[in-house]
Amino acid sequence: MDAKNANLSADQEFVITRDFDAPRERVWRAWTEREQLMQWFGPTGFTMSHAKFDLRPGGIFHYGLRSPHGHEMWGEWTFREIVAPERLVVVTSFSDAQGGITRHPMAPNWPLETISTTTFEEHNGKTTITIRWAPWNASELECKVFSEAHSGMRQGWGGTFEQLAAYLAKANSH
Amino acid sequence: MSPDHLSATFAALADPTRRAILARLASGETSVTELAAPFEMTTPAVTKHLKVLERAGLITRSRQAQWRPCQLNAAPLHQAADFIEQYRQFWEQSFDRLDAYLKTMQTPPQKPKIPKKILPIKKENKNGRKKR
Repeated sequence: MDAKNANLSADQEFVITRDFDAPRERVWRAWTEREQLMQWFGPTGFTMSHAKFDLRPGGIFHYGLRSPHGHEMWGEWTFREIVAPERLVVVTSFSDAQGGITRHPMAPNWPLETISTTTFEEHNGKTTITIRWAPWNASELECKVFSEAHSGMRQGWGGTFEQLAAYLAKANSH
Repeated sequence: MSPDHLSATFAALADPTRRAILARLASGETSVTELAAPFEMTTPAVTKHLKVLERAGLITRSRQAQWRPCQLNAAPLHQAADFIEQYRQFWEQSFDRLDAYLKTMQTPPQKPKIPKKILPIKKENKNGRKKR
């Protein structure tokens, strides 16, 4: 691995994108109306046990997600920018059941707050959603942890994991 | 894995020299002197990095041989990678559910009620009139 390539900037974003076979207006509503959002938000098998949803700049979406095993996780969005049906900017964080923001349960140096920009683009009746995710008001260490966790792992680490896999395969055969 | 342990892993990984050291160790155990060679660093400087890696559980240093070879310990690395994967999965799986949800919206299971408001417009279209 080239050590120079692995020297990533702290503001590196995490980007995820998906195309949906539905007009933008419909996707926007599924994303920004409480009852609709409750139908799909969260990983497979999770249900939304709590949702306070106040769509306005400065308003809060406070949610509880229950895993198939009954484990509950809490999170919070604070809406910053709402440009229907194109763009939604929210500050996201982990939280407790009362809505107080909390540290990541597994990583104390994870940024306390992150900013998530979701864009909705329509092409021929289909909608492309892109989420860009970055640290917000974070310390240098938190930015580093975030950057390493995402871009670092996916880019700079690519080759290393292959080497690692080869190494482990070799180790297992002994 | 304890929260502090995971933080230690991330902190240890947040340095290009330490990542390069791990990459080198992926091809087999080696000595501190050998590790220091490609980095133009003093042995104490490399030892400092090794201590960070050791505390994070990413490497082990044998106490048996005089030259104390460094070995890679891959488990925390895998756990860190899994942790990252959870984020991607959160959104990938939410997107799958959104996709399925949008499809059910296109074919609503309930009888659609036609709002009275749109009836006159329908009538107008039938007559072929255009409103400007």
